Amino acid sequence: MSALLSVEGLKAGYGPIEVLHGFDFTVNDGEIVVILGANGAGKTTTMRALSGMIPHRGTITMAGAALPSRSDAVLRAGVAQVPQGRGTFTDLTVEDNLLCGAYTRKSEVDEDIERWFDVFPRLRERREQRAGSLSGGEQQMLAIARAMMSRPKLLLCDEPSLGLAPLITQELFRVLEDACRSDGLSLLIVEQNANLALALADRAYVLETGTIVAQGTGAELLADDTIKQAYLGVG
Amino acid sequence: MMLASMIAFDGSLFVERMVNGLAEGSIFAMLALSLVVVFRSTGQLNFAQGEIGLFGAFVVSTLTLSGVPAWGSILIAMAVGFVLAASIERVIIRPIEHRNPGTVVVAAIGLFLGINQLHSLIWGPDARSLPSVFPTGADDFFRLFGAAIYWQRFGIFLLLLVLLGLLWLLFNHTKVGLAMRAVANNQESAGLTGMRVGSVLMIGWGLAAAISVLAAALLAPSAGLSAALMFGPFLSASAAATLGGLDSPIGAVVGGLTLGVLKAFIIGYIPFLGGDMVFTVSLVIILVVLLVRPGGLFGSERVERV
Repeated sequence: MSALLSVEGLKAGYGPIEVLHGFDFTVNDGEIVVILGANGAGKTTTMRALSGMIPHRGTITMAGAALPSRSDAVLRAGVAQVPQGRGTFTDLTVEDNLLCGAYTRKSEVDEDIERWFDVFPRLRERREQRAGSLSGGEQQMLAIARAMMSRPKLLLCDEPSLGLAPLITQELFRVLEDACRSDGLSLLIVEQNANLALALADRAYVLETGTIVAQGTGAELLADDTIKQAYLGVG
Repeated sequence: MMLASMIAFDGSLFVERMVNGLAEGSIFAMLALSLVVVFRSTGQLNFAQGEIGLFGAFVVSTLTLSGVPAWGSILIAMAVGFVLAASIERVIIRPIEHRNPGTVVVAAIGLFLGINQLHSLIWGPDARSLPSVFPTGADDFFRLFGAAIYWQRFGIFLLLLVLLGLLWLLFNHTKVGLAMRAVANNQESAGLTGMRVGSVLMIGWGLAAAISVLAAALLAPSAGLSAALMFGPFLSASAAATLGGLDSPIGAVVGGLTLGVLKAFIIGYIPFLGGDMVFTVSLVIILVVLLVRPGGLFGSERVERV
């Protein structure tokens, strides 16, 4: 497998405060990679740096070319993000949100909307409703569907489990995994919910205060005692 | 006299006043619409909106004096206003908008004064007359319930309806319109869906300016083209937008028309309040509405589940 996304020496922060202290990671074609980290480890900062929402230093390469630094150009390069807190257009209808997701595309938009309505029937029922009136779980579904409407090569998910019931999180992870396997999509998820995320992951990294401190396959990290203690609350 | 007009109710006079009010209200509504378009994308009231429109009206004057037909002049001036305002957004507003909430207000006040002075510098201090795009002859009217409805007034109201139809199409059935609504709602997410947020903001400012130019160019033939033309209408339009809800295009139109009709009726039926008091009375009514509904008549109440 070749690296689809390759990150080297990633540094980023807010004003004078550096949050990410320079680390490397890769996501291969069709792979599910999880970055595990506690609150404040730098998970969201990593995602924001990748999508060009904050400036960064270091090299980010996507499919062999440097990833652009403005978020609209990042999307056009095939990298979509489901941001933390869903980031739906709350004043727009569910359907308009999906149309926004397909903003860079011209053909087969209606087919894709139907596809995601099939995956999330609850969104079809609420297609004319304002996104702001949806429940947290429905908004997360909408955020994922909206990001997928751009037909990305790589999908970034920032803590999709945040604030959701475990059953809903499981359903969403299953959908993401399906999309990954059927479309050849690559997935980069940052999470603190180690149990669910590691079960899904082909490979995983552990991020602590802006540095990667461990890596391995999902199964390896699930079995690791220090990981268990820190993120699974056992041992 | 007030008593007389109350007792012997004159239906045709009522319709005439109504149409006069709708005509002036349409001008308020157009200006209020441009305020709403900018407010929705930036959260700011653009104090220079009226002056940008007036700049366009002066351009119309220059063009018509050199022989360009009135309709063509207005369209060209709207394009000029579009480019001017889009450049203002890019060069002046964007570099400062993220500093703190006050900076854009100060910049807009600076623009208001600057553009206003620019009018006198370029076109001189004397008032000009601008030809109307509608027939203005003494018999260019039709009768409705016995009232004489002059095209030069009724036409302005019709133009407002056409403008509304076009805006509705733009916002609901084009990609640009979708992007404008998305950017107004959540700039960060708009960027994440591949929208060029900066370009969308420029288009928003440009569109608002084009509408303001239309408003000023329709007002100038009856009110006279001078540097002070837009002061009053801008205040009325701000009040109309506040009344309707600053983020609601429908609110802007309803607010503008209400204010125009209210003004015509106060002048017509309550003569002792007429003239200078009209604006005060309108503002008091708006104040009362806002006390009951702080978001304006059509403003969003933003109920959101988290």
